[in-house]
Formats: sequence, C-alpha cells, structure tokens
Amino acid sequence: MDVLFALAVGLFFGIGVFQLLRRDLIKAAMGFSILFAGVNLLILAVGAYDSQIPAYASLAEDVQVSDPLVQALILTAIVIGFGSYALLLAMINVISRRFGTINSDEVKNLTK
Amino acid sequence: MENNIFVLGVVFLPFAGLIIALFVQNDIISRWIGLAASASGFVFSVVVLMQNMSIGPQIYRMGGYEPPFGIVLAADMLSATFGVMASAIMMAAFLYTLHCRDKAVRQRSFISLFLAMQMGLLGGFYTGDLFTMFVFIELLVLSSVALTAISDNLLGLEAAMKYLFMSAMGSLFLLIGISSLYASFGSLNMADIAQQLGTNERPLLAITSSIGLLCAFLLKSAVFPFHFWQPDFHTTAPTPVSAVLSSVVVKLGVYGVIRLETLLFVAERDIIGSWLLILGMIGIFFGGLAALSTYNGKRMLAYSTFAQVGFILLGVGWGTPLALAAAIIYAFNHAFIKSSLLMLFGVVASRTKAKTAALADVGGVGRTLPAFVGLLYLLGGMALAGLPPMNGFVSKVALVRSGIDAQSWFYVGAAVVGGSITLMYMFRTWQLVFQQQTDEDTTKLKDPGVHDSPLAPALLISTALALGIFAGPLFTVANRTVEQISDPQIYIDAVNPANAPEVTDAGPELTLDTAEGEE
Repeated sequence: MDVLFALAVGLFFGIGVFQLLRRDLIKAAMGFSILFAGVNLLILAVGAYDSQIPAYASLAEDVQVSDPLVQALILTAIVIGFGSYALLLAMINVISRRFGTINSDEVKNLTK
Repeated sequence: MENNIFVLGVVFLPFAGLIIALFVQNDIISRWIGLAASASGFVFSVVVLMQNMSIGPQIYRMGGYEPPFGIVLAADMLSATFGVMASAIMMAAFLYTLHCRDKAVRQRSFISLFLAMQMGLLGGFYTGDLFTMFVFIELLVLSSVALTAISDNLLGLEAAMKYLFMSAMGSLFLLIGISSLYASFGSLNMADIAQQLGTNERPLLAITSSIGLLCAFLLKSAVFPFHFWQPDFHTTAPTPVSAVLSSVVVKLGVYGVIRLETLLFVAERDIIGSWLLILGMIGIFFGGLAALSTYNGKRMLAYSTFAQVGFILLGVGWGTPLALAAAIIYAFNHAFIKSSLLMLFGVVASRTKAKTAALADVGGVGRTLPAFVGLLYLLGGMALAGLPPMNGFVSKVALVRSGIDAQSWFYVGAAVVGGSITLMYMFRTWQLVFQQQTDEDTTKLKDPGVHDSPLAPALLISTALALGIFAGPLFTVANRTVEQISDPQIYIDAVNPANAPEVTDAGPELTLDTAEGEE
C-alpha cells in the first residue's frame, strides 16, 4: 500500500509541477489543484498508524483503527485548496477580460 | 494554566470586525469599524505582552481539550512581541485607510479582507499548533492576494497571480513538512513535537521536514532564492496593504525561522544558521544594489525590505543570545520604519493624477505637500540607514555588537558596507522628491491640497523616534524574550503542563548593555 501511495503522490507532483509551469494560465491553475490533491494524498499516507478498519467504527476494544486526525486535516486542506483555486480562477477570468489573453507571456507584455 | 481571554481576543477581535464590516453598506463607517477592531486587537496584544513580562507564557485552549490534543493559542514572549508589532502596524494602516483616496479602499470587501489579513497574521504568530499555523498563513495569503488584485494599479492583478502561485508552492512545502513531522511523532502540537525532538531520537523524516518548513518560512520572508514575487507584489498593492506587507508580513517568516531554530530543531541550529548567514548576506547586497538602481519609489522600498530581512537573518543565523535579541529588536524597529516610509511614498503618489510612485514622475512633487512630510521622510530615511537618534541606529548597533561578540568578522563587515548602501538610495530619493524644483508642467498633479493624510506615517515616525531615544524598554523585552526562548522547556511546560518534568534552570545571564543603545 505504501508503494502505491508513494507512486501516486510522485505522479501527482510530477504532473502538477509540469502543468504549473505551462504558459496557459488555465492549465497552470489545473496544475495548482493537482498539486494540492497530491499533497492531500501525502497527508493521508503519513497517518501515524494505519489499518483497514475505519476510525470510530469498531466497537471491539483492542483493535487498531485507521487514523482519524489525518482525515480531518485533509478535509481542512481540501477546503483551503478549493478556496485558493476559486480565487485563482476568478483572477484568470478578470485577466482574460482585461488583457484579452490568458497566455502568461503576453499578459506580462501588456503593461498598459 | 488558565485560559487567557486576551490571547483569544488578539486573534478574534479582527474576525468579529470582519463579520460586522461585511454587513455594513457605508464605506466610511466600515473603515471606522476596521480601525476599532484593529485598535482593540492592539490593546489586547499589549495586555498579553504585559502579562508575559509579569507572569509568563499565556495560552488559550480552543474547546477546552487537554494537551496535546486540540488547538491551542500560545503566546510566549516571542509571539507577544511580534504580535504587538503586527497589530500596531495594522492599526496605523487602518488609520491610513480613513483618508485614503485609492479606489480600491472604497471597495465593499476591502475592510473585511484587510481584517482577515490581520487575523491571519496574528493567528500565525500566536498559534501553538503547526497545522493551524498553515491555516492562518493561507488566510493571510489569500486575503493579501485578493487585496492586491483589486489594487488601483492594473499590474496588481499580475503580481497577485504570481504571488498566489509562489505561495501555493510555499504552502505545499509547509504541508509536506507538517505531514512528515506528524508521521514521525503523531502530533501537531509544537510543544509536543519539540519535546519528542529533544530526546535526540530523530527519524529521517523529521530532518526532511525541517527543510520543508525552512523553505516555506523563507518564501514568506522573500529571502534570496524565493524572492521573485516580492518587488512586484509589494509595489502594486494599495498603499496601506503594501505598508503592512513589506513591514510585518515578511516578519512572519522570520518568526517561523526563529521558532524552528530555538524550539523545534535546536540541535540543527548551526547548520540552519550557516545557511541563514549566506542567504542574509546575499539579501543585503542584492536588495541594496537593486534598490539603488530601480525606477520606482515603492519598488525601491520593497527591495530595501529584502536587504533589511537579510540583516535580521544575520542576527538569527549567529544564533547567540545577544544576536537573537538584536534580530528581534531589528525586526521590531524595521516594521515601524518601513511601513511609515511606504505610507509617505503613498502620500506623495496620491498627489499625482496617475497615482504613480515612478521616480521619473515624482521629482519635486513633495514640495507641493506640507513641509513636515519632507521632514518625516528624512527622519524615516535616517532610521532606515541607521543614523542616530532614530531607532534604526539602535538596532544596527545591537546587531553589529552581537556580530563582533560572535567573532564573525566577515559578516559584520558585509553588514556595515551593505548598510551604507541604504544611505545612498534614501537620501537620493529624498532630494529628488522633496528638494528638487517642482516641474513647471502641473497638469500631471491634482489640485493643491488633494492627497492622502500623512497622519498615520507621522505617528509611526514619532514612534520610531521614541524607540530610538528611549531604547531601554525594547531591550528589556528582547532580553526577556531571548531568555525565554533559549530554554525550549519553558514553552513546552506552559503549553503542556501535564508532562512537566522537574524545574529547569533559566537561560544564561545576558550581558547586553542597555545604556549602549541609548543615544
């Protein structure tokens, strides 16, 4: 399971960084959200203890359940990532209307 | 320890103001609400500092969970000192918005976003929990991005975009660092992690996390390899926002680095310190020379921040008690100087029709302002360059003295040479703006008397002057701070009293001579 997580996180980071460096701002924004998804997966993978049994579901006494805290952290991180993504898309919207382009190189040159 | 409501108030009074300001239609009233919320936050932060001086670290446990579970706001001397600094500057910035002629300030969301920025900033200083720190930092980043995106300067949008991408990378590093620490120790509470790190059992992941956290904090401070967003972002933001960004928001990163060095990774402080020295020196020279050669007044001050953070990092990098105290004094003093200078440049820029601070357009503009504005700028320039009797002199003396004490001759020499560059660019712009003959062609200027009020920068400069003449109290606070942070156990015991071991000795006696700083 750990290997699978590691591969998935690496893939997410690779795709995310590649997309983030694109000139097209929409693609860059997508890379942004892929990166956040990757880091959320990383947090899930580093749970202090892991198990197949969901937290708070088992009534048995001495059964190792999965870590509930990382799930709470990811929930917070998802909300924050979503907020940033929404702000980013709103800014891209304004840029596309103000400058008539979403190519970041051309936006830089249109210093009016 | 009892929950202290004042600690909560510092963070949540701006939040209360934010909620109220959202429902207020009239923008004049909402500006007064902003000022009231930030001023009450300032009063509470001063109370927290006083209680720290007399009693000890103050804490507030959210929801009343026992340590190390639950979220805790913990204000020790370091947090309280930085908190007083941040809320004082925020209060001055809200005072500036009262008579600010920027269109952005009249936006309905402006005051709410600005208060969100104060909440994020103060929360970042006060929290005792790493993940909550991430949340507060994100709040700070998102609100400052939104504020810059609605700036009068059309380039603000591009700068905000750039900063959002850069700070997203910083947040990712922070999250990676936090999750690595959580994987190693199963805790997010800084005191708890510090205690487990202090037992010298260091998993490899914990060392990795120190790099992630360090990168994130250095990005927030705009230190050398992570600085590319800073000049654009600080130049194009609305004047009150840029004054806050360039003076206290960069200090959040400095605070994080000091915490890393003194609380979490105490054993690695020599390695971290040697990196900070190199990065700080690059910052001093790059920032100083770039400020000398730039074409825009606000941009010059943004580059200058870059250099001044370099000086602070030198102090943090030396890491001796004397040097840490000097770094804290420097950070505190620089906040007042830089915010007032940026506001003064905003006042000058508000005289021109294009609201520009470009040096080609503001030659002699200062002569059309009341004469004392020029005097304020001169005093601010003297403070930034480190001339007596301003507070900049006190902080420079403390820093150089601690460097001599650490026998680090190379970096002391670099700091002195780099500091003299400040003198050149500050006096050059003073002559240009306030001494040069005003352009005959007055079509670029607004009608006489139309400009932002220089009240807030005047108050800040007089505080700077007072801190220069009466430097004693600040030295006392800084010495007490260093006394406290040189023993991580004090912080750990205050936050997690359940596992408090036997009483430990206080830190070594400090020998910083306060009379030295009083000029």
